[in-house]
Amino acid sequence: MRNMLALLRRELNAYFASVLGYIVIMFFLVVMGVTFAVVVGWLATGPKQVTAMIILFKMFWLPSLFIVPAITMRLLAEEKRAGTLEMLMTAPVTDFQVVFAKYLGAVMLYALMWGLTVFYVVILRHFAGASSALDLGPIASGYVGVLVIGQFLIALGLLASSLTKNQVAAALMSFASVFLLLIVTNWLSSLFQGGQLGRIVRAISAFEHMENFSRGILDVRPVVYYLSATAWALFTTTRIVESRKWR
Amino acid sequence: MQPMINVENLTKRYAGITALDGVSFAVNRGEIVGFLGPNGAGKSTTMRILTGFIPASAGHVQVAGLDVFEDSLEVRRHIGYMPENNPLYVDMRVAEYLKFRAKIKGVPRGERRDRLEEVVKQCGLDEVINRIIGQLSKGFRQRVGLADALLAEPDLLILDEPTIGLDPVQIRQVRQLIKDLGKRHTILLSSHILTEVEMTCNRVIIINKGRILASDTPENLVKTFHAGGLINVEVRGPAIEVAAKLRAVADVAGVETTAGTDEFVRVAVEPQVGTDPREEIFKAVAASGWTLRELVRQRTSLEDIFVQVMREEDEAEEERRESKRGLR
Repeated sequence: MRNMLALLRRELNAYFASVLGYIVIMFFLVVMGVTFAVVVGWLATGPKQVTAMIILFKMFWLPSLFIVPAITMRLLAEEKRAGTLEMLMTAPVTDFQVVFAKYLGAVMLYALMWGLTVFYVVILRHFAGASSALDLGPIASGYVGVLVIGQFLIALGLLASSLTKNQVAAALMSFASVFLLLIVTNWLSSLFQGGQLGRIVRAISAFEHMENFSRGILDVRPVVYYLSATAWALFTTTRIVESRKWR
Repeated sequence: MQPMINVENLTKRYAGITALDGVSFAVNRGEIVGFLGPNGAGKSTTMRILTGFIPASAGHVQVAGLDVFEDSLEVRRHIGYMPENNPLYVDMRVAEYLKFRAKIKGVPRGERRDRLEEVVKQCGLDEVINRIIGQLSKGFRQRVGLADALLAEPDLLILDEPTIGLDPVQIRQVRQLIKDLGKRHTILLSSHILTEVEMTCNRVIIINKGRILASDTPENLVKTFHAGGLINVEVRGPAIEVAAKLRAVADVAGVETTAGTDEFVRVAVEPQVGTDPREEIFKAVAASGWTLRELVRQRTSLEDIFVQVMREEDEAEEERRESKRGLR
């Protein structure tokens, strides 16, 4: 447990020892800030069916597409390239501890980024006035959705990073898988409107899930789906790290 | 007493190549053992197996009485390891890195500060303690690696090429450090530099192509192989007679004379293996009434032995191949 904490701290420090952590957060804040400003401006033109936060949560794919590869590409690929994996794996820590610490570190950075958007809620609340009190329930479940989907994408990115020594290759792989999971499934679900196939596609479509989360519907099924998918991804990553032992 | 390292019939096969082929050796507590061999001989592979980074294909490997595969985590607690090329987190500061390593190695919170201070002092890192590792010179980085290996007070230090890439002054410092460490730790180090092993180790294991060719103290290796252990003699006298006289001395295997520029004859005397006929040579020369100007035994270095062992190995292999061809 103690070495788990030490590993986690090292992972978090690594983001901020290099400029990567700051750049990623800046990128996220610029994208989300502009989105927020545009959304609020549009909402001010008249009464609408949606709230600012629903639109913002549904925009989660935009930062995810770039930020998940950016924060995960380095994790294992760089350790393998620099040979520091050998230092790590000959210390008394298990392969899973190392993988899990990396996953957790990236998830915490991701959570920190989204945590900063709480300011938008504060701003909305301040200007909304007492008459149209902000409904905090859907906002909370929206954050749950962002976190639950995001942590799985991060686990996928980590898996991609374990497959190569090349950070760019890792980034492209995780970009492709995030693209497949978000954009392609969304497109497919619009393609197969009815029928069995449509139901399957909608069941795995992150957009569909996010739609529900952002409207305050906290369904257990997608949560279980993402958490078990993460467990699978972390397990596979650990096996890949261990695979040096079977070759 | 049970040995620190016990390796029996260790074999490691990668896809298509056999990196280690039935290697057996033991290292006792308190020894400094040098692994000597050309690049690709199997030194790093052996070390990686000992530290649990990769498993063996066959054979038994024990460290401190524990099986490295079954009790991998426990074995790692007994070992301080510095891999080849000494990989470090270049984005961390020295103190920060060592603190991190101390934590994941399970150094108890109360002892961490003391251990840190101790290894920093031992390895002479005071002046760079707050510097970023990536900006340090290679010599300092090497010392950071050593400090890391020492952090958890391991029984066994495994150092893969600890002086590679250093300048001569740094090499000296690191060697001295290793010698000092040998007083308190068992050390297994690898090198392809002969003088290094000769200077720092009490035992040498010569390894090539995944097989152990010789294992002994440097002195004994010199004695057994005594490659080039010629005796130089310079005598004032008639060349042919001098040669005949010296050839007749007991324990002399061969004699070769070269005429000098003056009236002295230079003779290279090859003694029988393991003998020292210098006294007899002196007596023979004195009895003949000649003048003796020089009587020196050429010092055999480990380098000569290494070259000889490698050559013998190559010849043996050649023979095996030829006998196979003959059978066909």
